[in-house]
Amino acid sequence: MREKVMGLREAVALIRDGDSVAIGGHTLRRHPMALIHEIVRQGRRGLKLQGWNNGIDMDLLIGAGCAASVETSYIGISAYGLALNFRRACESGALEVIEHSETTGLDMFRATVMGTSFFPTKTPLGTDLMRTNAHLAEVSCPFTGERFAAVRAAQPDVAILHMHTADRYGNVQLDAQRWNDQSADVLIGKAAQTTIVSVEQIVSDEEINRNSLLTVLPRKFVTAIVEAPYGAHPCACDARYDYDLDEVAKYYEASKAEGTFTAYLDERIRGAADHLAYLERIGVGSLMRLTRTRVARP
Amino acid sequence: MTAYTTEELMACAVSRELKDGELGFIGLGTGGRAFIYAVGIPSVAIELAHHRGVDFIAQYGVKLEPVIPEVPGCFTDANLLAWPCRAMILVEDCLDMFRRGMMDWGFVSGAQIDAHGNLNSVCIGDPKRPKVRLVGAIAQTDHCAHAKHTMIIVPHERRVFVERVDFISGLGFGDGPGYRERYQHHGQGPRKVVTNLAVLGFHPESKRMRVESLHPGVTREQVEANTGFRLDFPSPMPVTAAPSPEEVELIRTQIDPRGVWLQAHVR
Repeated sequence: MREKVMGLREAVALIRDGDSVAIGGHTLRRHPMALIHEIVRQGRRGLKLQGWNNGIDMDLLIGAGCAASVETSYIGISAYGLALNFRRACESGALEVIEHSETTGLDMFRATVMGTSFFPTKTPLGTDLMRTNAHLAEVSCPFTGERFAAVRAAQPDVAILHMHTADRYGNVQLDAQRWNDQSADVLIGKAAQTTIVSVEQIVSDEEINRNSLLTVLPRKFVTAIVEAPYGAHPCACDARYDYDLDEVAKYYEASKAEGTFTAYLDERIRGAADHLAYLERIGVGSLMRLTRTRVARP
Repeated sequence: MTAYTTEELMACAVSRELKDGELGFIGLGTGGRAFIYAVGIPSVAIELAHHRGVDFIAQYGVKLEPVIPEVPGCFTDANLLAWPCRAMILVEDCLDMFRRGMMDWGFVSGAQIDAHGNLNSVCIGDPKRPKVRLVGAIAQTDHCAHAKHTMIIVPHERRVFVERVDFISGLGFGDGPGYRERYQHHGQGPRKVVTNLAVLGFHPESKRMRVESLHPGVTREQVEANTGFRLDFPSPMPVTAAPSPEEVELIRTQIDPRGVWLQAHVR
């Protein structure tokens, strides 16, 4: 069996400038931040970002100059409200936005996973999403004549996700203690040509086999597995660790102006050689305070 | 006379609309006043209905029927995950329940609402080059299309109440009579708009927003000064029913003793 374990640097090197990149996670939960930080370190440009519910993940890539467009239903920083790098980029006209609702943002991946070129829904009919998003078009039901919106299937070049565990072959698992929103991640992971998954821990073959109900992405869908403990930080990772509101506050403050944000990126991300160096900057004390359930599987 | 807060009054006004056997959707997230309006007031309204013996199902995203008085005092992710509830469903199921027309109530808000009840959470100004870029449509579009009724809970401010929203991300009655009907959505459109000043509804023919009652002590001039379009006022002018002493007591001692919901003491 082909082994799919890669280093962070090697896995992110699979992403090319200009690729469409679909990102898992939602709000401040389980975004693949270690992979995103590495994209910033490698200086990718012109990425077409896709997702269904995003936040700091996309805002960071926008602020680092990696993104040409975004296609999603939400980019905000939870309790802080507006995502300021996103806001600046939109208001200066530098970023293209393809506007979705939560459901149409999911439908674009669902269509791909179902093997169809579009997904029918009534959700956006009558709103300005129909007017501004070229990936939505009106159709009628051939049986009833009813009006529907067709959501164009997304064809992401790459998907990036952060999950709990995997074996070396790329069978990916989530703990039973989790938000059920992970089903969106599974659709995103299945929709892409290349799927890169970072996990908290790579576990033994036996451990995966004994818990096969927890496998959400079988290896057929997975290109690369990267071990990245605390790889969602500063986002939450289900019952394992909470979001780091102190770090999010620092991020939010820095994002108020281009100059301070660049300084933040230089110190926190570009200045850290790799993910472990980033975690060292956050500090063991902070990471331990965020930890809710320590899970070590063989 | 019972002393009560505006938020308690608003929760009671919302609660009176909720009926036995209904299902309502509340999003989780946001902070401060936005949290009180989008999450706190509907939560207290639902729990008040439960105390009246109304069997109403509350759905918070993927979480069905969490125990409202047991809401965590701190809305961190791990705490929310551990909040006891009857079911955790898949996210596509939870959104499909909207699309199948199973949702009776959507509790929604927005940065702008217009005279025909359309909502905007996308941008102020031209979408291509906005003056202010907001967070995006999220599930607002789904609430407004599919929930049988929407209850819009927003602060009564001139910059919120505009003649025409800059971007329709949540469909109200579009540009007026006949607009919504063209799309045969399950949802019948916005039912009530509850603000810190008044309860508003929509004229059955013109589909324009109008005042239904002013909160005790609020004047017509106050509402007009805080609304960016012409409103009709009924004559004589009804006053929103004040919370009863029993309702206030219930909210303060049993439903929201820690002020998580109506005072946003969430950290």
